Amino acid sequence: MGPLPLVELTHLQAMALFAFFTSLVFSFLTKYGWKERAKYFLWCFFLFMAVGMGLGWLMYPFPY
Amino acid sequence: MGEAEATKTATASAAAQAIEERAPATPGQMAMGWLLGALGWAVPGLGHLLLKKFDRAVVFFFSVSAMAGLGLAMGAKIYAPSFDRSQGMFVLLLHLLGFLGDLGAGAFYFAARWAALGEDYMPRALGDYGTVFFLCAGLLNLLTALDAYDIAVGKKE
Repeated sequence: MGPLPLVELTHLQAMALFAFFTSLVFSFLTKYGWKERAKYFLWCFFLFMAVGMGLGWLMYPFPY
Repeated sequence: MGEAEATKTATASAAAQAIEERAPATPGQMAMGWLLGALGWAVPGLGHLLLKKFDRAVVFFFSVSAMAGLGLAMGAKIYAPSFDRSQGMFVLLLHLLGFLGDLGAGAFYFAARWAALGEDYMPRALGDYGTVFFLCAGLLNLLTALDAYDIAVGKKE
């Protein structure tokens, strides 16, 4: 089997996909009932995105 | 403290008390827990499927397989078991932790290794993200396997 064709994603898209799937699993692991799960999913997703973007801006002035 | 907060606290303490009062798992339940946990590790969601938790089984299989597949498609490096100390103990430790995390993906790890995917490091940012995607797929799958164990031994609903 040869190498897979590589997908191209922006950093934001990759972060959003990561946040989506991880939040989905967390919500089903820890909550019962669709309403509770939906609320927890949205909260986790928001936190992943907000913290990711916040850390990105904090690191912005520093050279690598 | 508001009325809603007080109700929430009372419900939480009632649930904690119910867990404490529950009879310990029988050896049969423990064996079933280990079996379902192992099956859940091997194939994401299979433990929950056998426990008839269909919603969780579908979500766990979909999420873990999507993360592992996306990771490979982004150019993930899959960690192989290695005890090479030539780069120092710290690198060896990182490598072993990466291997254990990747191994958590169960069948996806073995399929990727069998298909010789992720053998080479790809020097691009998205390849590093892919490595993290696959690693997190493995870690999430370990959590779902533990969840299947907990349900089977009666610690969770």
